[in-house]
Amino acid sequence: MSKILEIKDVHAKIGEKEILKGLNLDLEPGKVHAIMGPNGAGKSTLSKTIVGHYDVEVTEGDILYKGKSILEMEPEERALEGIFLSFQHPVEIPGVNNAYFLRTALNAKRKHEGKEELNAAEFLREMKKHLEMLGMKADMISRSLNEGFSGGEKKRNEILQMLILQPEVIILDEIDSGLDIDALRAVSEGINMMKDGKRSFLVITHYSRILDYIKPDYIHVLKEGRIIKTAGPELVAQLEEHGYESIVEEA
Amino acid sequence: MNLSQLKGKSLSDAAALLGADEKSIALERFLSLGLPTKKSEEYRYFQVEKLLEQEYRTLTYIPKPIQEAEKIIIVDGVVTHAPHGMRVYYDQCQAMDMTHFDPLYYLGHLLSPHVIKIDLDGDTDVEIEHHYTQSDALITYRIVLLNQSNRHATLFESFHEEEIENTLVLYGYDTFVAPDSTLRILKNQYMHGNRYAMVASHRLQLEQRANAVIKSFDMGSDMGLQLIKADLDRYAHIDAGHLLYLNDEAQRGTVSKIVHKGEHSTSHQEAKNILDGHSRGIFDALIKVEHSAKWTKAHQNSKAILLDERAYMAAKPQLEIYIDELEASHGSTTGQLDEKQLFYLRSRGIAKQEARKMLVIAFANTLIEQVKDHRHQEIIKETFDKAFYQTSQKEAS
Repeated sequence: MSKILEIKDVHAKIGEKEILKGLNLDLEPGKVHAIMGPNGAGKSTLSKTIVGHYDVEVTEGDILYKGKSILEMEPEERALEGIFLSFQHPVEIPGVNNAYFLRTALNAKRKHEGKEELNAAEFLREMKKHLEMLGMKADMISRSLNEGFSGGEKKRNEILQMLILQPEVIILDEIDSGLDIDALRAVSEGINMMKDGKRSFLVITHYSRILDYIKPDYIHVLKEGRIIKTAGPELVAQLEEHGYESIVEEA
Repeated sequence: MNLSQLKGKSLSDAAALLGADEKSIALERFLSLGLPTKKSEEYRYFQVEKLLEQEYRTLTYIPKPIQEAEKIIIVDGVVTHAPHGMRVYYDQCQAMDMTHFDPLYYLGHLLSPHVIKIDLDGDTDVEIEHHYTQSDALITYRIVLLNQSNRHATLFESFHEEEIENTLVLYGYDTFVAPDSTLRILKNQYMHGNRYAMVASHRLQLEQRANAVIKSFDMGSDMGLQLIKADLDRYAHIDAGHLLYLNDEAQRGTVSKIVHKGEHSTSHQEAKNILDGHSRGIFDALIKVEHSAKWTKAHQNSKAILLDERAYMAAKPQLEIYIDELEASHGSTTGQLDEKQLFYLRSRGIAKQEARKMLVIAFANTLIEQVKDHRHQEIIKETFDKAFYQTSQKEAS
């Protein structure tokens, strides 16, 4: 089994509180991994740890991406290498034009890959097809980044960024929260479009609803800072019926 | 000339030193206010004494024939170029403000007996380039701006200097904004290398239903202070915006007094301050609403971002109100760049320095984008880039 991302015995804390307590997880290329767990289990801390969030301090263990440790890498370096986090609560940045931001991010990636940067016209052509697919209004890219966007619009904007940046490891932190059925369908469609047999997805969720749209290959149960069980999609039904308390930690 | 010699001088001694008439009202006002010190309210945050104590060469003004050009060019206080057909000439300043709060407003007048008068005829868009070429010099000059009723004029000022040092510029304009007219004054000033320091002392008189838009973009380092006094008649409106983007040991900013004299007059004043290095930003702004100014609206606000723990913002928005029938507000905030926003941009592959720049520009953009003329806006953005990379290079080295 090849691995694109390996999380090895990671202990991480926020402030003085240890949240991840020896977490092990391997992501396989082309697979959808869902992380489920109760509130406070450490799901969001896991996503923050992978992308190098300033809140999190890794005290033990390692994270390997394509076999290389990323713990010493800056957040932008991790992103340029192909790791993407769709935020649970994307921040609003008044005064930063959405299109300018997206083009700057895309051109940073293209430059990193030794490709020519896109000019504004080329970029807008590229963008238009994604906007239509996601059901986003054209004016959303001329507005300030996420400013005044509804919850659904913010999530669609996250998926738009994912479609443009074409990352290889995609972490979706509660992508379904605050979405109505139409938005959930559009967002899921965007995610499913990215499946190419190579990319790996880490879907962090409270509820199984999103998993009706993005079919997972593996379900991992995260509890008290560790993965306590890994199984196939059939585990979802058990969790729905009996809750997290029913899960007994695997040896 | 050493301006600190004027300290505590009698009328006759000061008149002799300045070559002024003892009966001059400007001299009387100057002496009653006194030479500014660090104890003077309007210069509390600006080390003016350091500038006044230096020895400067005074320049002999020899007005030159004005050549034709697309813009007005003033070199060391002397007009050298002006657009064809525009009335730019030297004259006596016949209408000085006798209630200005700044002693250097009067000193500037005393040292510049002939002012540069600019008639803004019709709807017009004028650019003024100020050039400074002399080291160790005291450059003093004043401008009088006159526009016409029912007309809209825009003035864009920029400042340029040669490789000079230790020069002090005392400059300012007296502006009379005609009834039912609009005058926009945009100032773009980048200072770096301690080539010159500036005290610019302005006065604006807004007639009935006049509209003045004053936007200043002060960037870079060094020492520069603008002092603005504006009087508003009935239904007059002033929209003042001040952007500071400072680094190094800069001491720059605005001291202002907007006086609502007429009913239904309105004012809006906004300062955005981005301070890096050991810089000090100044926004010391008073809005005064007199008894005669019922039903006025007055709002002022200052926001500052400190990019370095050594940077300091002296923000002092103030309201002085003598009536009940009005709408007024003021406020001030100081903080750092938002860490969440910075991380969000970086998590998309944007380098830290570029992300910082995007956030700094975003903060400044609300003021820069109020400059509707695309060309002027581009010049201001270029200046902003220059100031940003000056700071970045310093950090890198």
